[in-house]
Amino acid sequence: MAKPRAKRALAYVTDRVRDRSFAGRIAIYIGSLALLFGLWEVASLVILKVKGVEYLPNPVKAITEMQRLGPLLFRNFWTSAWRLVLAILIAFSTGYPLGLLIGQERWLDRFFSPIIYIVYPIPQVAFILLLFLVFGIGNPVKVAIVAIAIFFQLLVSARGAAKEIDPEHVTSVLSAGASRFQTYWHVVIPETLPSILTSLRVSVGLGMAFLYIAEISGSVSPGRGGLGAFIKASSFNTTQQAAGILAMALLGLVLYVIIDIIERVVCRWRYTARRST
Amino acid sequence: MIDVRDVVVEYGKKAAAVRAVDGLSLRVAPGESLALIGPSGCGKSSLLFAMAGLIRPTAGTISVNGESLTRPRREIALILQNAGLLPWKTVWQNANLSLLLGREYPRVTAQAVLDELGLGEVKRRYPSELSEGMKRRVGVARALSTSPSVMLMDEPLASLDTLTKERIQDLFLRLWVRHAFALVLVTHDIEEAAFLGQRVAVLSDRPAQIKEIVENPAMGELNYRDTAAFADTVQRLRAGLER
Ligand SMILES: Nc1ncnc2c1ncn2[C@@H]1O[C@H](COP(=O)(O)OP(=O)(O)OP(=O)(O)O)[C@@H](O)[C@H]1O
Ligand SMILES: [Mg+2]
Repeated sequence: MAKPRAKRALAYVTDRVRDRSFAGRIAIYIGSLALLFGLWEVASLVILKVKGVEYLPNPVKAITEMQRLGPLLFRNFWTSAWRLVLAILIAFSTGYPLGLLIGQERWLDRFFSPIIYIVYPIPQVAFILLLFLVFGIGNPVKVAIVAIAIFFQLLVSARGAAKEIDPEHVTSVLSAGASRFQTYWHVVIPETLPSILTSLRVSVGLGMAFLYIAEISGSVSPGRGGLGAFIKASSFNTTQQAAGILAMALLGLVLYVIIDIIERVVCRWRYTARRST
Repeated sequence: MIDVRDVVVEYGKKAAAVRAVDGLSLRVAPGESLALIGPSGCGKSSLLFAMAGLIRPTAGTISVNGESLTRPRREIALILQNAGLLPWKTVWQNANLSLLLGREYPRVTAQAVLDELGLGEVKRRYPSELSEGMKRRVGVARALSTSPSVMLMDEPLASLDTLTKERIQDLFLRLWVRHAFALVLVTHDIEEAAFLGQRVAVLSDRPAQIKEIVENPAMGELNYRDTAAFADTVQRLRAGLER
């Protein structure tokens, strides 16, 4: 009697996993988070066992701490969030169009490619000190550091994507009488958007790392210095630090979800192919 | 009337230049159909793109109704090798690309054209949701949407199965009769050339030159594929290609 029941339970679970409805997707999300927190719990226990000190507080403690910190943590979260989002917007609105132009127009490519090849491989952190010295440690520089890093990322991938455009698509709109601008609007942009959005996801992680570095450099006011400053200021309180890290993860998650939603809307055509006809 | 005179198309510069079309001349009268047949890579697409105003010939002239051709024009439609549909646009948007790009034409025909091609039901779908044959028909709908007087086709039925291919060839024939455009069809399918060309120009290896023009006056007869005249044209085309 036990066996069929286990089988049925398994079938129930796999059905839920395959379920593409909204509820099904939420269930998968929760399951995946549960796995992550489970691993975290195990790591926390192992560290406690081996070292005898609770360097890594368990998830429950971290979440409770987030609640306790409340408005203070939220203020820092908000500071980091707007800095990161602003940097992403600046980098996207400059790096993406510029990358497309360089990828499409041969003379621009000849002129800019050497510059890109020289500047891109330098880790942009190397410029931090210079920027701090010249412009001080205020918000503009912190946003600028993140924006520069993402800018190059997006520039290089937009350039690559623009070179991969299917010439038949271009011929097709040209023969229908498209102007150069219309060629960009109807072919180059839609054809490169999926890979740019992928690149944007990578940029969120990259931007977060640079934001952290920018926020722990210079002034550290735990009040509204951003999550980086908050984490650094909590060096001797591991529980508080874990709460800060968790808040950072939450920021990343929110941004990923937003990018996913944007992709579903602007790349709608890529999601219909899976619809059965 | 489209008049191609001593057209040369070259790619690249000087020593590295590749000559795709070599001093080729031809004329297509209004409402006439001409098939161009030649081996792979001989320069057929290059010639057709020049006739569509998409590339400027290195030498020679192309004129349409007495005016020299410098850029794509509304009365010349081009159907590409793989239909050239944009995956991010629906069937309706793809078929009405010219309208979308701001070239005006009587809009009432749009729905009629889709219905005529049996695409009325699927106009909100994306190309990835269509069968190969349907995609080609959307390409045809786009070409018809501007009521062109010249229709250029670049291997429009390549890589389709025989039955679908013949069905769409029949469709082409009907459209040609009904809409009375001049048809220039590039193909490397001998039977297709014999079925759709009143005249068939046999091209040489690259660079493309006209080796021979085969007259095919009985084209368009009922069940033409089953007639002796068809078999005879096919025979002559094969001989011309091998020569
Ligand atoms: N944009 C280009 N730049 C350089 N060379 C080209 C270009 N387009 C075509 N060619 C060359 O010109 C020659 C003719 O090409 P074209 O596409 O006109 O041939 P085709 O007869 O249409 O071939 P296919 O049967 O494969 O479609 C080929 O050798 C090709 O490599
Ligand atoms: Mg070709």
